[in-house]
Amino acid sequence: MAAMLQPQIILLKEGTDTSQGKAQVVSNINACMAVADVVRTTLGPRGMDKLIHDDKGSTTISNDGATIMKLLDIVHPAAKILVDIAKSQDAEVGDGTTTVVLLAGAFLKEAKPFIEDGVHPQNLIRSYRTACHLAINKIKELAVSIEGKSMEEKKKLLAKCASTTLSSKLIGGEKEFFASMVVDAVIAVSNDDRLSLIGIKKVPGGNMRDSFLVNGVAFKKTFSYAGFEQQPKKFQNPKILLLNIELELKSEKENAEVRLSDPAQYQSIVDAEWNIIYDKLDKCVQSGAKIVLSRLAIGDLGTQYFADRDIFCAGRVAEEDLQRVAAATGGAVQTSVLGSCELFEEKQVGNERFNIFSGCPSGHTATIVLRGGADQFIEEAERSLHDAIMIVRRAVKNSTVVPGGGAIDMEISRYLRQHARTIAGKSQLFINAYAKALEIIPRQLCDNAGFDATDVLNKLRQKHATGEGLNYGVDINTGGIADSFANFVWEPSVVKINAINAATEAACLILSVDETVKNPKSESAQGEAAASAMGGRGRGGAAFHGRGGRGMRRR
Amino acid sequence: MNLNLRTDFTISTRHKYNGFHCALPSLLKLPISPLPRFSPAHFFQNPPVLSLSLSAASGGCGIRGGGGGCDLQKGEVAMALAFDEYGRPFIILREQEHKTRLRGLEAQKANIAAGKAVARILRTSLGPKGMDKMLQSPDGDVIITNDGATILEQMDVDNQIAKLMVELSRSQDYEIGDGTTGVVVLAGALLEQSEKLLERGIHPIRIAEGYEMASRIAWDHLEQISQKFEFSVTNIEPLVQTCSTTLSSKIVSRRKRDLAAIAVEAVLAVADLERRDVNLDLIKVEGKVGGKLEDTELVHGIIVDKDMSHPQMPKRIEDAKIAILTCPFEPPKPKTKHKVDIDTVEKFQTLRQQEQKYFDDMVQKCKDVGATLVICQWGFDDEANHLLMHRNLPAVRWVGGVELELIAIATGGRIVPRFQELTPEKLGRAGIVREKSFGTTKDRMLYIEQCANSRAVTIFIRGGNKMMIEETKRSIHDALCVARNLIRNNSIVYGGGSAEISCSVAVEAAADRHPGVEQYAIRAFAEALDAIPMALAENSGLQPIDTLTAVKSQQVKENNPYCGIDCNDVGTNDMREQDVFETLIGKQQQILLATQVVKMILKIDDVITPSDY
Repeated sequence: MAAMLQPQIILLKEGTDTSQGKAQVVSNINACMAVADVVRTTLGPRGMDKLIHDDKGSTTISNDGATIMKLLDIVHPAAKILVDIAKSQDAEVGDGTTTVVLLAGAFLKEAKPFIEDGVHPQNLIRSYRTACHLAINKIKELAVSIEGKSMEEKKKLLAKCASTTLSSKLIGGEKEFFASMVVDAVIAVSNDDRLSLIGIKKVPGGNMRDSFLVNGVAFKKTFSYAGFEQQPKKFQNPKILLLNIELELKSEKENAEVRLSDPAQYQSIVDAEWNIIYDKLDKCVQSGAKIVLSRLAIGDLGTQYFADRDIFCAGRVAEEDLQRVAAATGGAVQTSVLGSCELFEEKQVGNERFNIFSGCPSGHTATIVLRGGADQFIEEAERSLHDAIMIVRRAVKNSTVVPGGGAIDMEISRYLRQHARTIAGKSQLFINAYAKALEIIPRQLCDNAGFDATDVLNKLRQKHATGEGLNYGVDINTGGIADSFANFVWEPSVVKINAINAATEAACLILSVDETVKNPKSESAQGEAAASAMGGRGRGGAAFHGRGGRGMRRR
Repeated sequence: MNLNLRTDFTISTRHKYNGFHCALPSLLKLPISPLPRFSPAHFFQNPPVLSLSLSAASGGCGIRGGGGGCDLQKGEVAMALAFDEYGRPFIILREQEHKTRLRGLEAQKANIAAGKAVARILRTSLGPKGMDKMLQSPDGDVIITNDGATILEQMDVDNQIAKLMVELSRSQDYEIGDGTTGVVVLAGALLEQSEKLLERGIHPIRIAEGYEMASRIAWDHLEQISQKFEFSVTNIEPLVQTCSTTLSSKIVSRRKRDLAAIAVEAVLAVADLERRDVNLDLIKVEGKVGGKLEDTELVHGIIVDKDMSHPQMPKRIEDAKIAILTCPFEPPKPKTKHKVDIDTVEKFQTLRQQEQKYFDDMVQKCKDVGATLVICQWGFDDEANHLLMHRNLPAVRWVGGVELELIAIATGGRIVPRFQELTPEKLGRAGIVREKSFGTTKDRMLYIEQCANSRAVTIFIRGGNKMMIEETKRSIHDALCVARNLIRNNSIVYGGGSAEISCSVAVEAAADRHPGVEQYAIRAFAEALDAIPMALAENSGLQPIDTLTAVKSQQVKENNPYCGIDCNDVGTNDMREQDVFETLIGKQQQILLATQVVKMILKIDDVITPSDY
């Protein structure tokens, strides 16, 4: 009785949600597994796409793990970590975003029974870290370098890497076509770090095969004024002037006012204004440029002035396009340095007219013009190409590759199992669990393709155990196993290293959390939606209000 | 005293030219622009509300709302809540319980149903005996058309997959301009076939890959059965025939030959045969209610829906020298804010005189360089108008930017932004400029003909009512596109479904050589190709299956890939005799695009939507 009468100690603000202990760890693991479950089916060449609709009505169809995770709008705090690692993988290597989420999910899944059995999370974490370390070393050891090959050969090898990435995408049917395009683009840009130098332009209409690569810059015809059609549309070796000013008749200063007492002077004001603009235009012409591009508007007056002098002009060119033109033609914005290129032409692409600068001297840019049937289609194609570009860039820098198709994962898994046997203590179990989790990749590849995963995995395990089949992975076409290396299913090793690293880090982070404290104040800021999350989570179920409660009743 | 005469005018009257350089298949697609374009007629023709919903008259099933029919409701599940071992749900996504998620086969079926629904609507519009759809916009505007792209564009489709179909047809429209109905019907048929395959448990991606292989076979086959056909500027007959095939399915089919001839002539006039490039922007399609369709004509020059600024100006000018101005006939205004302080009567007089002198000078300038006609982008006030009249200088005002540019191109003149810049070389030349009035109405239009450079032409359409004219415009656009495509690539295939049947036979035969699951998909593709001749036969009131099988067997027996459906009951199946052609690239594009979109739809296995909206 006495115990009941004990005064309640209120430590935290009312409504604060705290949950702690083993149950909290398990709960977090479950949340992460559920998220991993969503992207599971997008893995591999037989992976499916997701159609995500947001409440604003825009639709995305994607196969890219990072894109899907971003659009899912996840609010669960633990699960958000997975979104972050997908994003970081995207930023770091550009591809393997689904892989990293899947791996993290698998690591957590394997950890769950141990947690439930009362193993201390820190024990698990330590073993996972060791395993991760071992795995990465093994990958480095197994990776095959493509350094020292001739340019031709290297190109071919890079194209193989790109086509492995593209095979899981919507444009997989044309992967060779796009892979060589991507490799050409990346090699054109060579050592420059700026990704923005590879432009991707999207033009709806046509089919994928109509896409093309411009060794230089291409951009859509800008808004034009009357007189534009009378300008020449084709130049050989033109000089290009890049500006950042408005070539329009306008007041020079806002809020300025001219007061005249003598009406006769009126004309001089008018003339003065015209002279300013004519002066500018004249200077452009004097420079000898044949093409004038400006980031700001070129008005009707300027357009007609240039048309009169057989000069091509385009105003309101997007900043990045102008930068790219500058890089490509060797010009600089707003200086006396004029750029040049071999050929300039205005061309019809689908329903749009495009300004194309090709054969640029410094040649540090490339533009891919993408064609496709529908907007969503082109957008997904762009994302896929972005992945491929990133992969090729990474491969150029870090020129080692590993076999794909789950082969490398199986090999590491085998290696870790073998290693685990040499360890005495609990750690043996945990490293074994880690090894088992790595098998998720080939397993999922089979699942997505509709093969019997157990069957294929057993074959793979057997093959790898013999010691000679270390390159064997899932054969997606027949449902058997095949030598991935011989079949040119290659990935840059940095993708795998980064994925394993990030996934392990995320798993460890989630395992190490045993208490969540959620402040009620921030919730109201986040709106009711977040409040609904509260009711469900953890022990703090006391705060069963709002939509959380409704969510329960529904079930 | 501060006195502002005409000199101080608000800047807003200086409207920016706001032309859009594209030949739109339908005027209703007019983009809403932030800047007004000053032509009152224009505003009436293009009401700002652009969305139309499918009217009941079209007989299709409504695609508005939750999408592909009723099967969708069944499969919908609220975004599954996850439960942990202790029976507590946890919420991962924002507003999870308000999202619906369709997964796996359920999702694919719902998507296919939506795609099929769209195809079903267009199916009856295919071919020469295809029917039109009437579309009514919320504010009562009516469009009657059988152009696939236009129908879908106006239908205000809500379902995501259905939107993909709309884009499919739009993309055919952009690239080829014709065959927008066929591509959707083909995609619908492919989806229908894949539904059967999915039920058999074939992996959707295997199906998609099979389709892709099949589409390549069909593409190659089309190349084989295609024929090059020669034409030249003097021999335009083949071009005309191809264009008439396009027009035969339209409401204007009774005048198809004349219209086809007009379209071909127009395209040839602006074509650059060496570069094989045609800039359709140079062809202006103008329409006016009244008269008969037969009065439709091709004008080698420009028609402007304007008249002379003063009723007493001459209505006909021969050997006109045209000054094309983008500056108004008024005293110049500096852009900087300015005020003229007038404190004495003398000053006021000076200002007044000065202004008059401006008008005088302007007109004199035009006279001096030898202009006999002034075309101005802006207006001019009564004083200028009077002066122009007085000095016997005819003028036209408020001519839009696009027209101005076309006039400049046609007459070889330059657009002059300032009176000081007027020189005799900058004047455009036209053999004859005349004002023409129509019927009993007071409407007048300005014809500028026999221009120095004939590379800008106008097709002037007459017709009983506005809907008819709009539909004719769309039909002419299709015909223009076909002619353009032929100039780019002069290969043709025969129409009437013959190419599809031939491909179907070829794909079917090729299917047997492919091992693996794809074989089924390839066979299904062959069957889907039959959908087009089938729809043609159905729309023509023939027995679809009987006709199709008869034609198919005839093709195989006689080894003649030119047998098609005899829609017009001419009495022969051979499309060579019927002179029914289509462009090779158009047909190839149809097959590729349809395959591409179907692949995209099949690849989706998870649809996440915010449910109640």
